[in-house]
Amino acid sequence: MDSTKLMNLREESGIKIIEIKTDLSSYAASDLRKVLEGLLAEKVEKVVVNLSQVSHINSTAVGALVGVAKRLRQSGGDLKICALADNLTRTFNLIGASSVVEIYESENSALAAF
Amino acid sequence: MAQADIQLQIPSAVFYIEPVRAFVGNLARSLGFSRKRVADIQLVLDEICSNAVHHGSVDPTDSVKLHIGIDTHALEILVQDTGTQQAGEKSWLTDERLSEIETNRSPSNERGHGIFIVKSLSDTHEMQPNAAGGTDVRVVFRFPKPSDIRI
Repeated sequence: MDSTKLMNLREESGIKIIEIKTDLSSYAASDLRKVLEGLLAEKVEKVVVNLSQVSHINSTAVGALVGVAKRLRQSGGDLKICALADNLTRTFNLIGASSVVEIYESENSALAAF
Repeated sequence: MAQADIQLQIPSAVFYIEPVRAFVGNLARSLGFSRKRVADIQLVLDEICSNAVHHGSVDPTDSVKLHIGIDTHALEILVQDTGTQQAGEKSWLTDERLSEIETNRSPSNERGHGIFIVKSLSDTHEMQPNAAGGTDVRVVFRFPKPSDIRI
Protein backbone atom coordinates (compact mmCIF):
# COMPACT_ATOMS: atom_id res chain seq x y z
CA MET A 1 0.00 0.00 0.00
CA ASP A 2 1.15 3.56 -0.69
CA SER A 3 2.51 4.75 2.66
CA THR A 4 1.29 8.32 1.96
CA LYS A 5 -2.25 7.00 2.46
CA LEU A 6 -1.24 5.78 5.89
CA MET A 7 0.81 8.70 7.10
CA ASN A 8 2.02 12.23 6.44
CA LEU A 9 5.71 13.03 6.69
CA ARG A 10 6.89 16.57 7.26
CA GLU A 11 9.77 18.37 8.90
CA GLU A 12 9.93 21.19 11.39
CA SER A 13 13.17 22.68 12.75
CA GLY A 14 15.11 19.61 11.71
CA ILE A 15 12.66 17.21 13.35
CA LYS A 16 10.81 14.67 11.21
CA ILE A 17 7.14 14.45 12.08
CA ILE A 18 5.17 11.36 11.15
CA GLU A 19 1.42 11.84 11.37
CA ILE A 20 -0.25 8.44 11.25
CA LYS A 21 -3.62 8.49 9.47
CA THR A 22 -4.79 4.93 10.06
CA ASP A 23 -5.21 2.40 12.83
CA LEU A 24 -2.05 0.43 13.46
CA SER A 25 -2.94 -3.23 13.20
CA SER A 26 -0.44 -5.67 11.71
CA TYR A 27 -0.87 -4.57 8.10
CA ALA A 28 -0.23 -0.89 8.73
CA ALA A 29 2.40 -1.69 11.36
CA SER A 30 4.63 -3.29 8.74
CA ASP A 31 4.39 -0.10 6.65
CA LEU A 32 5.18 2.01 9.69
CA ARG A 33 8.26 -0.12 10.34
CA LYS A 34 9.41 0.39 6.72
CA VAL A 35 9.01 4.17 6.98
CA LEU A 36 10.90 4.26 10.29
CA GLU A 37 13.68 2.06 8.88
CA GLY A 38 13.88 4.45 5.93
CA LEU A 39 14.39 7.40 8.27
CA LEU A 40 17.15 5.51 10.06
CA ALA A 41 18.82 4.83 6.71
CA GLU A 42 18.64 8.56 5.93
CA LYS A 43 20.46 9.25 9.22
CA VAL A 44 17.50 11.19 10.59
CA GLU A 45 18.08 11.73 14.32
CA LYS A 46 14.94 13.38 15.68
CA VAL A 47 11.46 11.99 15.09
CA VAL A 48 8.02 12.80 16.47
CA VAL A 49 5.19 10.34 15.81
CA ASN A 50 1.76 11.94 16.06
CA LEU A 51 -0.93 9.35 16.84
CA SER A 52 -3.88 11.75 17.17
CA GLN A 53 -5.78 10.03 14.33
CA VAL A 54 -5.11 6.50 15.57
CA SER A 55 -7.72 4.61 17.58
CA HIS A 56 -5.98 1.22 17.68
CA ILE A 57 -2.37 0.10 17.99
CA ASN A 58 -1.06 -3.44 18.37
CA SER A 59 2.14 -4.74 19.93
CA THR A 60 3.89 -4.99 16.55
CA ALA A 61 3.52 -1.27 15.98
CA VAL A 62 4.47 -0.42 19.57
CA GLY A 63 7.53 -2.64 19.16
CA ALA A 64 8.54 -0.85 15.97
CA LEU A 65 8.35 2.53 17.73
CA VAL A 66 10.30 1.24 20.75
CA GLY A 67 12.97 -0.33 18.53
CA VAL A 68 13.55 2.81 16.49
CA ALA A 69 13.57 5.03 19.59
CA LYS A 70 16.31 2.87 21.09
CA ARG A 71 18.37 2.93 17.90
CA LEU A 72 18.02 6.71 17.52
CA ARG A 73 19.20 7.25 21.09
CA GLN A 74 22.34 5.28 20.35
CA SER A 75 23.24 7.95 17.80
CA GLY A 76 22.25 10.89 20.00
CA GLY A 77 18.73 11.31 18.64
CA ASP A 78 15.32 10.19 19.83
CA LEU A 79 11.78 9.28 18.81
CA LYS A 80 8.96 10.84 20.80
CA ILE A 81 5.27 10.01 20.60
CA CYS A 82 2.34 12.38 21.06
CA ALA A 83 -1.44 12.72 21.17
CA LEU A 84 -2.43 9.23 22.27
CA ALA A 85 -6.08 8.28 22.76
CA ASP A 86 -6.85 6.73 26.15
CA ASN A 87 -6.89 3.15 24.88
CA LEU A 88 -3.53 3.64 23.16
CA THR A 89 -2.08 4.94 26.41
CA ARG A 90 -3.41 1.83 28.13
CA THR A 91 -1.70 -0.40 25.52
CA PHE A 92 1.62 1.40 25.97
CA ASN A 93 1.28 1.14 29.75
CA LEU A 94 0.29 -2.53 29.64
CA ILE A 95 3.33 -3.47 27.58
CA GLY A 96 5.51 -1.13 29.62
CA ALA A 97 6.57 0.82 26.55
CA SER A 98 5.61 4.13 28.18
CA SER A 99 8.69 3.70 30.36
CA VAL A 100 10.87 3.28 27.28
CA VAL A 101 9.49 5.88 24.86
CA GLU A 102 8.71 9.48 25.80
CA ILE A 103 5.01 10.29 25.36
CA TYR A 104 3.61 13.83 25.14
CA GLU A 105 0.10 15.21 25.12
CA SER A 106 0.57 17.34 22.03
CA GLU A 107 2.81 17.59 18.99
CA ASN A 108 4.05 21.00 20.14
CA SER A 109 5.12 19.67 23.53
CA ALA A 110 6.90 16.73 21.86
CA LEU A 111 8.74 19.08 19.52
CA ALA A 112 9.65 21.39 22.39
CA ALA A 113 11.14 18.47 24.31
CA PHE A 114 14.01 18.12 21.81
CA MET B 1 -32.20 -15.14 24.55
CA ALA B 2 -30.76 -16.67 21.37
CA GLN B 3 -27.26 -17.97 21.07
CA ALA B 4 -25.12 -17.39 18.01
CA ASP B 5 -22.16 -19.07 16.36
CA ILE B 6 -20.39 -17.12 13.64
CA GLN B 7 -17.67 -18.73 11.56
CA LEU B 8 -15.13 -16.88 9.44
CA GLN B 9 -12.22 -18.12 7.40
CA ILE B 10 -9.58 -15.69 6.14
CA PRO B 11 -6.47 -16.14 4.01
CA SER B 12 -3.35 -16.19 6.12
CA ALA B 13 -2.33 -12.60 5.42
CA VAL B 14 -2.19 -9.55 7.69
CA PHE B 15 -4.31 -7.59 5.20
CA TYR B 16 -7.39 -9.56 6.30
CA ILE B 17 -6.92 -8.97 10.02
CA GLU B 18 -8.13 -5.37 9.89
CA PRO B 19 -11.61 -6.12 8.44
CA VAL B 20 -12.05 -8.94 10.95
CA ARG B 21 -11.04 -6.60 13.77
CA ALA B 22 -13.58 -4.06 12.55
CA PHE B 23 -16.33 -6.71 12.35
CA VAL B 24 -15.67 -8.06 15.84
CA GLY B 25 -15.50 -4.51 17.20
CA ASN B 26 -18.90 -3.67 15.75
CA LEU B 27 -20.29 -6.94 17.07
CA ALA B 28 -18.95 -6.30 20.58
CA ARG B 29 -20.37 -2.77 20.53
CA SER B 30 -23.74 -4.14 19.47
CA LEU B 31 -23.61 -6.62 22.32
CA GLY B 32 -23.26 -3.78 24.80
CA PHE B 33 -19.59 -3.94 25.71
CA SER B 34 -18.16 -0.62 26.85
CA ARG B 35 -15.92 1.39 24.52
CA LYS B 36 -12.91 0.47 26.65
CA ARG B 37 -13.76 -3.22 26.58
CA VAL B 38 -14.39 -3.15 22.81
CA ALA B 39 -10.87 -1.76 22.39
CA ASP B 40 -9.53 -4.61 24.57
CA ILE B 41 -11.39 -7.23 22.51
CA GLN B 42 -10.11 -5.77 19.24
CA LEU B 43 -6.53 -5.66 20.51
CA VAL B 44 -6.65 -9.26 21.74
CA LEU B 45 -8.12 -10.40 18.42
CA ASP B 46 -5.45 -8.50 16.50
CA GLU B 47 -2.66 -10.11 18.54
CA ILE B 48 -4.06 -13.64 18.18
CA CYS B 49 -4.64 -13.29 14.44
CA SER B 50 -1.19 -11.75 13.94
CA ASN B 51 0.39 -14.69 15.73
CA ALA B 52 -1.68 -17.11 13.65
CA VAL B 53 -0.59 -15.46 10.39
CA HIS B 54 3.07 -14.96 11.30
CA HIS B 55 3.76 -18.13 13.28
CA GLY B 56 0.91 -20.53 12.59
CA SER B 57 -0.50 -20.63 9.08
CA VAL B 58 2.74 -19.43 7.56
CA ASP B 59 1.99 -20.61 4.03
CA PRO B 60 0.03 -17.83 2.27
CA THR B 61 -2.25 -20.48 0.76
CA ASP B 62 -3.23 -21.56 4.28
CA SER B 63 -6.13 -20.03 6.12
CA VAL B 64 -7.00 -18.91 9.61
CA LYS B 65 -10.40 -19.91 10.99
CA LEU B 66 -12.38 -17.92 13.53
CA HIS B 67 -15.36 -19.17 15.53
CA ILE B 68 -17.21 -16.45 17.37
CA GLY B 69 -19.70 -17.65 19.92
CA ILE B 70 -22.24 -15.56 21.75
CA ASP B 71 -24.27 -16.86 24.64
CA THR B 72 -26.07 -15.38 27.58
CA HIS B 73 -22.99 -14.46 29.52
CA ALA B 74 -20.03 -14.02 27.19
CA LEU B 75 -18.45 -13.46 23.82
CA GLU B 76 -16.08 -16.28 22.96
CA ILE B 77 -13.54 -16.18 20.13
CA LEU B 78 -11.62 -19.21 18.90
CA VAL B 79 -8.82 -18.68 16.38
CA GLN B 80 -7.37 -21.74 14.65
CA ASP B 81 -4.25 -21.87 12.51
CA THR B 82 -2.89 -24.79 10.54
CA GLY B 83 0.67 -24.90 11.84
CA THR B 84 3.81 -24.66 9.81
CA GLN B 85 3.35 -27.98 8.02
CA GLN B 86 7.11 -28.13 7.53
CA ALA B 87 9.18 -31.14 8.45
CA GLY B 88 11.10 -30.53 11.64
CA GLU B 89 9.16 -27.38 12.48
CA LYS B 90 7.21 -27.24 15.70
CA SER B 91 3.94 -25.43 16.08
CA TRP B 92 4.59 -21.81 17.11
CA LEU B 93 3.01 -22.55 20.44
CA THR B 94 4.69 -25.02 22.72
CA ASP B 95 4.92 -24.96 26.50
CA GLU B 96 8.64 -24.36 26.18
CA ARG B 97 8.13 -21.52 23.73
CA LEU B 98 5.45 -19.91 25.90
CA SER B 99 7.66 -20.11 28.95
CA GLU B 100 10.58 -18.66 27.01
CA ILE B 101 8.46 -15.77 25.73
CA GLU B 102 7.15 -14.95 29.21
CA THR B 103 10.58 -15.14 30.80
CA ASN B 104 12.20 -12.94 28.18
CA ARG B 105 9.45 -10.33 27.87
CA SER B 106 10.70 -6.84 28.55
CA PRO B 107 9.13 -3.44 27.83
CA SER B 108 12.17 -2.55 25.76
CA ASN B 109 11.80 -5.61 23.51
CA GLU B 110 10.33 -5.04 20.07
CA ARG B 111 8.54 -8.39 20.04
CA GLY B 112 7.05 -10.95 22.38
CA HIS B 113 4.18 -8.91 23.88
CA GLY B 114 1.23 -10.47 22.04
CA ILE B 115 0.55 -13.42 24.31
CA PHE B 116 1.02 -11.22 27.38
CA ILE B 117 -1.66 -8.89 26.02
CA VAL B 118 -4.01 -11.81 25.33
CA LYS B 119 -3.59 -13.12 28.88
CA SER B 120 -3.91 -9.68 30.45
CA LEU B 121 -7.03 -8.44 28.68
CA SER B 122 -9.21 -11.53 28.22
CA ASP B 123 -11.34 -12.96 31.03
CA THR B 124 -10.37 -16.49 30.04
CA HIS B 125 -7.75 -17.74 27.61
CA GLU B 126 -6.69 -21.19 26.40
CA MET B 127 -4.00 -22.18 23.95
CA GLN B 128 -3.57 -25.73 22.75
CA PRO B 129 -2.38 -27.72 19.73
CA ASN B 130 -5.09 -28.70 17.24
CA ALA B 131 -5.58 -31.72 15.00
CA ALA B 132 -4.32 -29.81 11.95
CA GLY B 133 -0.91 -29.41 13.55
CA GLY B 134 -1.47 -25.78 14.44
CA THR B 135 -2.74 -23.94 17.47
CA ASP B 136 -6.18 -23.16 18.84
CA VAL B 137 -6.42 -19.97 20.86
CA ARG B 138 -9.68 -19.42 22.70
CA VAL B 139 -10.53 -16.26 24.59
CA VAL B 140 -13.67 -15.30 26.49
CA PHE B 141 -14.98 -11.85 27.33
CA ARG B 142 -17.80 -11.87 29.86
CA PHE B 143 -20.67 -9.47 29.54
CA PRO B 144 -20.69 -6.95 32.40
CA LYS B 145 -24.44 -7.32 33.00
CA PRO B 146 -25.93 -10.39 31.32
CA SER B 147 -29.47 -9.16 31.82
CA ASP B 148 -28.69 -6.06 29.76
CA ILE B 149 -27.47 -7.96 26.71
CA ARG B 150 -29.86 -8.30 23.80
CA ILE B 151 -29.17 -10.81 21.03
